[in-house]
Amino acid sequence: MKIEIVVDPARPAPPASLVSRVAPAASAPAASDARGASCCILQRPEWADVVPLEQYENVTPLAPIFYTDEYRDATNYFRGIVKSGEMSPRVLELTENVIRQNPGHYSAWQYRYKTLMALKSPLDDELQLMDELAIKHLKTYQVWHHRRLLVQQTRNPGPELEFIANSLQVDMKNYHTWSYRQWILAYFNDDALWSHELDFVESMLESDVRNNSAWHHRFFVAFQSGVRNGDEDRDAIVRRELAFVKERIAIAPNNASAWNYLRGVLDHAKIPYSELQAFVLPYSLPQLPLGIPPEVVDLENPLPSKDSQLPCVAAVEFMADIHEAAGGGDLVKATELWKSLANEHDTIRKRYWEYRIAESLKTKSGGDG
Amino acid sequence: MLPASLPPLSKGGHAAHCKRCLSGLPSSQVDIDPAKLALSFYCLGSLDVSGELEKKTKDWEREQWREWIWSQQTRGHHGTGFRASSYMTAKHSTEEHSGHDNPQIIMTYTALLSLSILRDNFSRLDRKGLLEFLRSCQNIDGSFSSEPLGGDSDLRTTFCAFAISTMLDDWSGMDVANALQFIYSCRTYEGGYGQSPFGEALGGTTYCALAALRLATKQLDPLSLQDRQKTVRWLVQNQAYNGGFSGRTNKDADACYCFWCGASLHVLDAGDLVDNAAMSSFIASCQFKYGGIAKIPGEHPDPYHTYLSLAAVALLPPNSSEGASWALCPLDPLLNATYQTSSWARAHIPAPKVDDDALGDAGI
Ligand SMILES: [Zn+2]
Repeated sequence: MKIEIVVDPARPAPPASLVSRVAPAASAPAASDARGASCCILQRPEWADVVPLEQYENVTPLAPIFYTDEYRDATNYFRGIVKSGEMSPRVLELTENVIRQNPGHYSAWQYRYKTLMALKSPLDDELQLMDELAIKHLKTYQVWHHRRLLVQQTRNPGPELEFIANSLQVDMKNYHTWSYRQWILAYFNDDALWSHELDFVESMLESDVRNNSAWHHRFFVAFQSGVRNGDEDRDAIVRRELAFVKERIAIAPNNASAWNYLRGVLDHAKIPYSELQAFVLPYSLPQLPLGIPPEVVDLENPLPSKDSQLPCVAAVEFMADIHEAAGGGDLVKATELWKSLANEHDTIRKRYWEYRIAESLKTKSGGDG
Repeated sequence: MLPASLPPLSKGGHAAHCKRCLSGLPSSQVDIDPAKLALSFYCLGSLDVSGELEKKTKDWEREQWREWIWSQQTRGHHGTGFRASSYMTAKHSTEEHSGHDNPQIIMTYTALLSLSILRDNFSRLDRKGLLEFLRSCQNIDGSFSSEPLGGDSDLRTTFCAFAISTMLDDWSGMDVANALQFIYSCRTYEGGYGQSPFGEALGGTTYCALAALRLATKQLDPLSLQDRQKTVRWLVQNQAYNGGFSGRTNKDADACYCFWCGASLHVLDAGDLVDNAAMSSFIASCQFKYGGIAKIPGEHPDPYHTYLSLAAVALLPPNSSEGASWALCPLDPLLNATYQTSSWARAHIPAPKVDDDALGDAGI
């Protein structure tokens, strides 16, 4: 048998909504300070016809939240509106109020979108409001989901790229922001939209060459959805990307993102790692080879910038992979490199490098047998 | 250099932090409402994995929690599941369905695990409705939406469908081949999995992908040899020099990724490649002095990072010489609960088997 009670741990009685609507001055003294301007919208006479609905629990809830009066008020009216099914301009006002207090309020977003559609509201205004809310709540999923729905209606993705570029200035690695950019590009997929994407990535990498989101985006542009008509010469694209990533590695050798990108390009194009040996080798040595006169600088294979910390762990790993693939006597060389990683250069992954040694021995003995 | 021995893991303190959250949250936590069952799972999970549930809670409390979780089971227009909380529930409107009080797939997964932690007998579970709910959440591309006919869909929501099907021991709620196809489409050149196709490799969603693959295929290795090597490499690379794990390449370590990456490695039978001692040392440094574990040292704790840190330690414990404080209950990495709880789930959530002999005797 259940005992039905309204559990209201924060504020037993009277319901804040009623108090504030009928007689604001009569509200509990302790709470009066908390009644900021934003809850006043509900005290206006035009809300008098709405019956606010309290949140209802028929059993003691887990983790009850001690709502502010302001929030309780707004959500009581919101529940009332949802029950009546009203879709009107004041609903936009109310849902904005709720969302500003709780940007994760799933239902408020949902109902707001329905109302916008029902009213045929100007969506550019809504997007402008979203420009502000998105920057404020970059990490809230709903902000981005709502934006997607809106742009699917306006079918005007152009301004979005600039908006995204601006919000990436606030948080350069924000996952939602990057996903949204990838979605805009892939969903609308027109050439004009894509035309400056490589420049954009390059400028992002200019600000931070270690930004993995930007590297990932570059792969998406160069090898996935970004492939355009006229890009059919895939070998040229691969050469361009290899040159690009080599230059970035030369500037900052200890950058896992760039090395992962290099591997990604090679795997994608099915190019054996050994073809990069001339480039990678100097990075895997404890110091730059002495006495290389500047005139013999190999543009294909830029050397690590001065003051680089060498050897570079990723380069040592890369050289070991080359030796392992060669097999035979080269396995000894690979093992030496893995040992140096395990015991000296990358000790946190000692177990991994020892595992690589053990695995290569297994393959070798398997091959011999 | 890492300290020679670890400070103790303050199990009691962390359990107390979670117990406090279960009894109430400040108004600043209002964004928890649309995900409250998930928060409840992190709190209950912390109590469970640290072996503190019986000590820290009373029978009547656990009974009350079960009741509240069951009161979130909702029949919508498209099947039955659990909604996040009662935040959209108004009095006297329990009978009618507003369409804004919907069950949600992540909440359903966490509700089933929470009820298992509380050793419920699941006699109230609407299994048929739950399968209907799953079916109506699956999209054309194989992914699952958070709720029927739309909403966000990604690897997290898709993993939940795999976990729910496993717990039900019934896969008729999904097109498995199509769902697997979606998972493969989220793979990136780094070897991890993004949140959705074309997304950057991320620790949490990589766990979702690998655990789902393993739950569905039951093979020891759901990936090709080459793919597995690449994924293991990327996961191992995410262990930072301070011992913690980052969720993406070149990001700082964060306690929750000790679980997401560590468990991913465990799922690939490569858990032994983690430097457990360094990982535990990082987690030790994220402990808040009044209980709870934060994402990084010096921040405020929360149940999410507390649970995932404890789960990571349970899965990849430091050397036993670190003492009893670091000993936790063994964890099932695929469902993300202690083995005792996941066995309970697997034993009690499936529809009771029809006994053929009994039917025969009854002359049916
Ligand atoms: Zn985290």
